[in-house]
Amino acid sequence: MLDNSRPSEGIRFEELILDDRVHSTLYTDSEVFEAEMDSIFRNGWVFICHDSEIPKAGDFVRRNVGRDPVFAVRGRDGEISVIVNRCAHRGNIICQEERGNAKAFVCQYHGWAYDTKGGLVDVPYPAGFKGDFSCHGLERLAKVDSYQGFVFASFNPTVPSLGDHLGRATELIDRAVEMSPVGRINLSGGWVRHQLNCNWKMLPENDTDGYHVNFVHPSFAQAIRSNYDEAVLQDEESLKSEAKDWGNGHTELNFSPSYSRPLEWFGCAEDRYPSYSKALREAYGQEKGDKILLDGPPHAVIFPNLFLGEMNIVRFEPVAPGVCLHIHTPMYLEGVDDDVNQRILRQSEGALGPTAFLLADDSVIAERTQLALAGKGGWLDLSRGAEREVTDDNGVVVGHLTDETSNRGFWRHYKQVMQGPDQSSPTAAAAAA
Amino acid sequence: MVTIEERLRVEEFLFKEARLADESRYSEWEALAEDDMHYWVPAEAGQDPDDGRISILNDNRTRLATRIRQLNTGVRHAQVPPSRMCRIISNVEIETIADGEYFVRSNVVLYEYRIQADKKMEVWPARVEHKLRMRDGEMKMFSKHIHLLNSEGPVRGLSFII
Ligand code: FES
Ligand SMILES: [Fe+2]
Repeated sequence: MLDNSRPSEGIRFEELILDDRVHSTLYTDSEVFEAEMDSIFRNGWVFICHDSEIPKAGDFVRRNVGRDPVFAVRGRDGEISVIVNRCAHRGNIICQEERGNAKAFVCQYHGWAYDTKGGLVDVPYPAGFKGDFSCHGLERLAKVDSYQGFVFASFNPTVPSLGDHLGRATELIDRAVEMSPVGRINLSGGWVRHQLNCNWKMLPENDTDGYHVNFVHPSFAQAIRSNYDEAVLQDEESLKSEAKDWGNGHTELNFSPSYSRPLEWFGCAEDRYPSYSKALREAYGQEKGDKILLDGPPHAVIFPNLFLGEMNIVRFEPVAPGVCLHIHTPMYLEGVDDDVNQRILRQSEGALGPTAFLLADDSVIAERTQLALAGKGGWLDLSRGAEREVTDDNGVVVGHLTDETSNRGFWRHYKQVMQGPDQSSPTAAAAAA
Repeated sequence: MVTIEERLRVEEFLFKEARLADESRYSEWEALAEDDMHYWVPAEAGQDPDDGRISILNDNRTRLATRIRQLNTGVRHAQVPPSRMCRIISNVEIETIADGEYFVRSNVVLYEYRIQADKKMEVWPARVEHKLRMRDGEMKMFSKHIHLLNSEGPVRGLSFII
C-alpha cells in the first residue's frame, strides 16, 4: 500500500530522468500522473486566471487546478479567492456557470449559501443544523498571489512565495504586458478548449521546442508568408533565435534576435499601426519603445501550466496520463486602437486551437507520440546542444533555437519537484542512507 | 415558401457540398464558395461573430483560401492521410433572403474516422446555417456557420473541412 501523503514514494524519478534523456513511462504511467497532481498541481503554484477576467466584485470564473474543480471570485474587498467548487455539505458543484457575477453562491442540492469568500452564511431548516457556520465554509486554496495581474494559487500553505517560484521569469511576464502602452493586458476574449490525447507535459515541451518547426509545419510555411520564416525556418547557421532555460522550469524560445524591423513579429510593416507605435514610444521612451516594437512579445512557458504564446495566453490542463487540454485566449492590449486587438484575435484563431494552421499539426504529432510510448516504452533523447549552450550573466541558459536547452530546463525542475525536498537535500539523503 | 424546384436545388447543393468535404476534395469544395464567403465555427452558443470573442474558426474568403492552400500542400500532417468522413444531413429548412438567395438551416451529424492518428471514431453533431445564392445558373454559398453542440469544448483537432 502506498502512503497517501506521498504518492510519489514508489517512483524512482532519479532513474527515469537523466541529464540527457527521460523515460517514456513519465508520459504514460498513472502513478506518475497521480504524483504530479500532488507534487506539481497541489503543492506548487498554478496559474488560475488574469485579473481582467474578473474585474468587478462578485465576478467569477471556473477553472481546474490539476483535476480539482475550483472557481476564482473577486470579493467585495477587491481580493481574489480561489475556492474549491464543492459544497461543504454533500459535495455538489457550487458554481455551475462558467463565468458570471454573483453576490452569493447557493447550492442547488439543499440550499446552503456561501459568500464570495466561501464562508457559509445560510442553511435552510436551521433548527436541525448543529454545526458551527465558521467550520462549514468552502475549501479555499491556501495561497493566492498575483504578478502583473496573472493570478496564481496553491493548495499548499507552506509553498515558497510566488516571487521565489517565478524567479527571473517575471521579466518574461513584464515583456508580455509591456506590449501594451499602459502596461495592461485584457483577457476578455473567451477561451477555446482544445483536447489532445497526449500527456500534458508534451504541451510545455512542444510549445518551447524550436527544432520541430521545419518538419511539423512545412504546410504552414508553404501556404503563408509569416514572421516565422525568419525566426524559425532558416538553416542551422542562419538561425538567430534562441532556446532558453530561465530556471524553475520556465523556458523560452526567443525569436527577437531574428527580427530586423519594427512589428515584424506582428506580420506587418511598421506604418500599419502608427498610433500603436507612437503610443509605445511615448509610454516607454524612444529607446525602450523601439526595443519593444522590434523584439515583440515573449514565447515562453511559466511552469507548470501557463504559456505566454506571443499574443496569446494559454493554459495547460492535465486530464489523465494520455489526455490534456490546451486552452487559449487572445492577449488583448489595453490602451490601443480596436484594429490592433482585432488583428490579435484573428492571429490567435489562426495559430492556436483545433482548426489552427499551426496547432492542429502539433496535436496530431503529439497524439502519435503518445501512441508510440504505449506499453513498456523506452528512452526519449534530450541531449541536443548540451555542449554548445552557455549561461548568460543573469544565470539564464541560452542555446541554439533547435537545441533542447528549454526542455532540459523543464525536466531539471520537474525532477526536483517530483523528488520532493526530502530527497533532494543532501542531509535528508544522508539520513536515509 | 420556396418552390419544390428551389428546394431540390438547395438540397442538391447541400449533398454535393457534403460529399466534396467528406472526400477532402478541397479545391472543388472551395469552388462552391463566393468571394464574400464567411466560414465560421463559434466557440460559444449565442456568439456574435463581431463581439470580440474568440471563435474556433472564423474565415473570410482570403483566410479560407489560405486554409485550402495549406491542405493542398499534401504535408498538412493533421490531414495526412485525410480523415475518412461521412455526414448525414437532415431537418432542412429554407427561407428566401432575396431573389435567388436562400438561408438554409440543417442538422448535421459527421462521423470522422481519425485514420492519421489514433484510428478512433469522432462524432461531430452540429446545427448548420448556409447562405446560398444562384449565380449564372449555379448554386453557390456565401456563408456557412457550423454551431457544434460541444463548441465550448473540449474539442478535438478539427483540421478537415467541417
Ligand atoms: S450538497 Fe450543497 S447543500 Fe447539500
Ligand atoms: Fe509547432
